[in-house]
Amino acid sequence: MALYLYLQFPSLLVDCVSPLPAKVPLAVADAQHRMVQLNTEAAARGITLGMSLGTAAALCADLQLLPYQTERQQQLLQSVAQQLYQLMADIALDPPDGLYLRLCAMLRLYRGLNGYWQVLYKALQALGYRYQFSCGTTPLAAKCLARQQLNLLSADSTELSEALKRSPLVASELSLPAQQQLKRLGITTLGQLLALAPAELSRRFEPELLSYLGRLNGDFYHALNYIQPAPGFSRYIELLYDIADTSVLTAPLSGLLQQLSMQLKHRDAVCYQLQLSLHFRSQRQAIELTVGSAQGEYLPERWLMLCQLQLSRLKLTEPVSGLELSCSDFKPKQAQTSALFNETATTLSPLQLVSLLQARLGCDAVSSLSLQNQHLPELASRRQPAQGPKQSLSETALQPVTPLALRPAFILPSPRPLTEPVEITSGPERLCPNGWQLAAQRDYFIGRNRKGQWLWLYRTVSQQWFVHGLFS
Amino acid sequence: MSAIIAQLARRQLLWQGNNQQAAYQALSSGFAELDARLGGGFPVTGLIELQTEAGIGELRLMLPYLKQQQASGRLLVLIAPPAEPCADMLAAAGIDLSALLIIAPANNKDMLWAAEQCLDSGCCASVLLWQPQFNLAQARRLQLAAEQGAASLIVLRKPAQYLSLPVNLSLALTAKAQGLGAKVLKRKGGWAGEVVDISMQPHWPALCLADSSAATVLTAVAG
Repeated sequence: MALYLYLQFPSLLVDCVSPLPAKVPLAVADAQHRMVQLNTEAAARGITLGMSLGTAAALCADLQLLPYQTERQQQLLQSVAQQLYQLMADIALDPPDGLYLRLCAMLRLYRGLNGYWQVLYKALQALGYRYQFSCGTTPLAAKCLARQQLNLLSADSTELSEALKRSPLVASELSLPAQQQLKRLGITTLGQLLALAPAELSRRFEPELLSYLGRLNGDFYHALNYIQPAPGFSRYIELLYDIADTSVLTAPLSGLLQQLSMQLKHRDAVCYQLQLSLHFRSQRQAIELTVGSAQGEYLPERWLMLCQLQLSRLKLTEPVSGLELSCSDFKPKQAQTSALFNETATTLSPLQLVSLLQARLGCDAVSSLSLQNQHLPELASRRQPAQGPKQSLSETALQPVTPLALRPAFILPSPRPLTEPVEITSGPERLCPNGWQLAAQRDYFIGRNRKGQWLWLYRTVSQQWFVHGLFS
Repeated sequence: MSAIIAQLARRQLLWQGNNQQAAYQALSSGFAELDARLGGGFPVTGLIELQTEAGIGELRLMLPYLKQQQASGRLLVLIAPPAEPCADMLAAAGIDLSALLIIAPANNKDMLWAAEQCLDSGCCASVLLWQPQFNLAQARRLQLAAEQGAASLIVLRKPAQYLSLPVNLSLALTAKAQGLGAKVLKRKGGWAGEVVDISMQPHWPALCLADSSAATVLTAVAG
């Protein structure tokens, strides 16, 4: 027997607003100025769904209003489905606020409806959205029952069909004219309607009614588009209060990271880079931060630390109104190996250390050094952003470069003219730039000045002397 | 008589000056004359302070030690070096460039933060820090981080009158014709005030004055 569960989230847009410090009535109004979503405080003040804006404002003066955003609603529903996908195989979206879950295939895994519900309940609690649900033998039956807020959880088909027969027509998805027409005939429940012969109905009513009833009954096949997991992670939260202090952003951010980490854990993956966007209320361009970890992390604490370091460098000119966290690709987790009998307990791996330093000091401030096969001193050493030891190791293994004999420890970025007497101890060593540019050739000497500093000097063709390095 | 001494020693009532424990684990500096004075070499962990002018051979003095430190596979970190480090010279001295990090912090605060993170992480063997400004509390903090991560921090500063810092070893280096003169300013578990002449002749013959008459004094001065 087929069994479906319908989950309805009646107030996604209200619930996704970050937790309120005090009890604030909050409602979402659509384009026709009708209340479509309410939080519990607003409902307690007597505001009902479908009420007009004027009435609502009269009832409750400090009502906070949000506009209804179709796209945002769709995104939220999608993200709920993605989260539940970790537990349930077959989920289909029913915009704007519902999800079909095909239960029958999952019951064996969770050992019956009870086990299934326990797992689902936990996941729904973690999401924090209000919901109503019902089981049904067909998707539409489950939806019809869920919309009456019956919260029926049963695999018993007779109980479910009894409940369906008792359902009023208002809970069905029949068009309003059709409902009116049926009402005039004295038909008020679905049971009465289903008792009628389909052939009779087809003569009097539109074909849509018959098709609906067929799918409700399970006589017609109802195709559902089950979702596929999206690659990566992307989530947006709207902050109710604008935040101007970057350290206060930690709380909403850690919530987002927790969700990311859950998804990563389920896939046994890590990610190397996060995109953090700070959105502003005005039309200003959102600030995009790229937070990277050279080793790849999944733990929310580690990511939070890296994000905080980046945020602490940031100066906000305007309060932030929304936060978006996205990660485009997940990579499989690789086990870290370390020595079994190492005496020193390392708290970080070299790659983690690099990420940590880069997060606070910037990518350019942390670099590694590699030796190039060049005779000119300014080309022989190459500084590149530190990627961790592994990569550079393979690079040097490919082309082993033998270091030149005697070079100073430090090369001055720009040679400075020699202004003091020095003792020359060795030289010259003639270096000519690539392409035999004889005019630019330099004769290098090693010299020692009065203070005892060992300098690397050169003489140009025009007999000018420069200091180019320090033998530290 | 010796029986009584042995008995007292066994009951740990007697303290003998010649078998005292070293205050730190030492690693050979690569210069025999220095090792003899420092009780085996430079400390493996903790702070080492070098008061020195730039360019007189202070890094060359540390290179054999740094090479040994790096042999454990851990990182060597250079924080705020005075100029571009030269890969040729470091590679020729046996430093593994793939386990080398160079950090260029924007200010003193970032510099100390980076040093502490590196020391504390446990994945760095040695950290070299050029010209930091720190007070006693910050030095103590770095010392603790270094002990925690089993790393050594080598601080290079210009010679001046500083407050005594909680370091394992403090040396004042001066340029000598044959190498360096080192004065022990402070040594944990040892005596200060010793002066050692370190010869660079075996390691770096080209960077020693053979004798003053052989060298030609350059008189042409530019600028």
